[in-house]
Amino acid sequence: MPDTQVLVNDFLNKLKKRKIEGSQATARQTAELLRSVISQQRVPYTNQAGALIDAVKAVGEQLIAANPVELAVGNIVRRVLHIIREEDLSLTTAAIGGLNLSAVSDDENDDDRDGDSTLSAAAVAAAARSTLRPPSLQTLLEDTPVSAAVPQTSSSGGDSEGKSKSADKSSRSRKLKHDVIEAVNELIQDIVTCHEQIAEQAVEHIHQNEVILTLGSSRTVLEFLFAAKEKKRSFRVFVAEGAPRYQGHLLAKELVARGLQTTLITDSAVFAMISRVNMVIVGAHAVMANGGVIAPVGMNLVALAAQKHAVPFVVLAGSHKLCPLYPHNPEVLLNELRSPSELLDFGEFSDCMDFGSGSGSPLLHVVNPAFDYVPPKLVSLFITDTGGHNPSYMYRLIADYYSADDLVVQRRATAGN
Amino acid sequence: MSMSAYYQTRAAHHGVVTSDWLAQSQEAATRAVVTGGQEIVDGGKSGRAFSVIDEFNNWRKQPDLAEAVAAIRALAAVIRNSEAKTMMELEIELKKASDSLKSWDTTSISLTAGCDLFMRYVTRTSALEYEDFNSARSRLIERAEKFGEISYKARKIIAMLSQDFIFDGCTILVHGFSRVVMEVLKMAAQNKKLFRVLCTEGRPDRSGLRLANELAKLDVPVKLLIDSAVAYTMDEVDMVFVGADGVVESGGIINMMGTYQIALVAHSMNKPVYVAAESYKFARLYPLDQKDMGPALRPIDFGVPIPSKVEVETSARDYTPPQYLTLLFTDLGVLTPSVVSDELIQLYL
Repeated sequence: MPDTQVLVNDFLNKLKKRKIEGSQATARQTAELLRSVISQQRVPYTNQAGALIDAVKAVGEQLIAANPVELAVGNIVRRVLHIIREEDLSLTTAAIGGLNLSAVSDDENDDDRDGDSTLSAAAVAAAARSTLRPPSLQTLLEDTPVSAAVPQTSSSGGDSEGKSKSADKSSRSRKLKHDVIEAVNELIQDIVTCHEQIAEQAVEHIHQNEVILTLGSSRTVLEFLFAAKEKKRSFRVFVAEGAPRYQGHLLAKELVARGLQTTLITDSAVFAMISRVNMVIVGAHAVMANGGVIAPVGMNLVALAAQKHAVPFVVLAGSHKLCPLYPHNPEVLLNELRSPSELLDFGEFSDCMDFGSGSGSPLLHVVNPAFDYVPPKLVSLFITDTGGHNPSYMYRLIADYYSADDLVVQRRATAGN
Repeated sequence: MSMSAYYQTRAAHHGVVTSDWLAQSQEAATRAVVTGGQEIVDGGKSGRAFSVIDEFNNWRKQPDLAEAVAAIRALAAVIRNSEAKTMMELEIELKKASDSLKSWDTTSISLTAGCDLFMRYVTRTSALEYEDFNSARSRLIERAEKFGEISYKARKIIAMLSQDFIFDGCTILVHGFSRVVMEVLKMAAQNKKLFRVLCTEGRPDRSGLRLANELAKLDVPVKLLIDSAVAYTMDEVDMVFVGADGVVESGGIINMMGTYQIALVAHSMNKPVYVAAESYKFARLYPLDQKDMGPALRPIDFGVPIPSKVEVETSARDYTPPQYLTLLFTDLGVLTPSVVSDELIQLYL
């Protein structure tokens, strides 16, 4: 356990000091950290899933607090929690299936007891499955007490079956951790290979003699365009430089190195050039549950220009960027202000920005937000590793990847909550 | 002039009653009892006359009870009084009772939705193999009675979900008197949030006056507007909050007359429109325009006599299409309008 604490503190430091750049790297490191937390965690015999969930929530809470603007951290924490619940559920249904068989095969004289257990097993499995899915109209009238009965039946089943069951249980506890770690490994694999999976779909969207506009530099966009080039599509790219970091310059260099015809423009020239563009393809920092996009600053401008000229606005995002939260006031709450030195040379402007002179508050303020919020109605298509989707379809992906119980990652206080 | 029973009840709750209204409501009530009496759910050999309509009306009189809850309680009473011996028989009886309830008041959407939801639940429950009919029956009754608690909890959940969207210093425009929206605002006031409410008068119900009263009791700054002043004040509004009589399949809502107008103005000025509605209000309707729904009429008292040659538009509700709504707060979570049809499909197909 002290091992993982060191790792956690290390990672927390890196997050607080913003040392990790990019959501993919953050997501991968978060997943790896949680994997070590899970493997180091000791689990009791009963309710192992609960113990794992508590451990992950405890670490997750700290991670999210360290960098609340980096939504990928919270996403991965919630994905891991969902994985734990899913694996637990599949093991429980398998175990109940086993219980069912053994109850039927038993020639005991308490027949009605067996009948009861078969009935409750089916109902319990159904109820357990429904607790995993988010609340829906189907389950509106159903009992919540049935889900509380799930651990009860399994433990009572264990009692009645005797020694054979206890051996079964210990193998089950090992199996849960093992399954969860396998699933987390798959998750890490997905995060690492998301670029390839998205790039595979490039040929369907980019056709011959097209003009594509992008802003700043995104690795996903780069791979996407390369994949289309590989398949012998000929197209041109307009790159908006993406002030104040000017990462568009780097992107332009890489595109030229691969033999693509590139044109570099300033952000302010986007409206002037948009009429010559067939499609806008950009990356994102995060995608919210309503289909809104948190993207590098300047993206809202491009989206508005695209809407005005009826140009499709396509956003590429790996599934680790999908956040189950709905944004309220994202321009303020999900934004980060960076250093003014990216805009101004401090030497030249030191007299305007001097806090020491006069009233103590300088007349010149510099605001350098890192992100922009693009509302869902401006986005035409999302391309994720699972395929192309409408912004209004995001809720489906969220229901697949996350559990409703995990939206607020907080370890429940033991003293009555 | 006919009147919708649903709005008749709402008026009774709000205490906004004019003399001719009262006369008409009494006439409508006697008419309903006569037709309701003919829909007696057969109590079998006992010969005891049990009217589901009467039961429903009893429940509906309580001002804090939602329509759907009253309907489900009435259906629970049907099960209790039924002498069926098999699930199939019980289902048939319930279907008859549910149909009579729905036909008695064709205008109430949450009534229809509540009945459908309960029938669906009964069908799914009977699909599970229960050895004992009596245990299944008692389970159905128990769940139906619990539904009242669910509905009350639903309001709390909706209020909690919407708290984040109410920020300090915001101005909220509210239309109509919805108990759910009231709960939202009450919780925000209890959480010491600083906000201001603009409420429309809501002619002819004058529901805005009642809302203003309630909010003044909570020490929330309130400003009353006449319905025509909405566009005038829309630029100082940060968000619009409305309830819903029903949520339709497209994700749009059916609500008190004037909601569509306000949503249009808000949309043209880029203000978000939030709807607070419980999930049992989701109905399998798909209106394509305003006149597509069954009319729900409500007589309007202009204060002066109107010549008989002059027609009056007496419809009490309108349909707001989903593109003018931003988010729906329901007990199933925060939803965008496109999720509604998905939920309905999962339930009914």
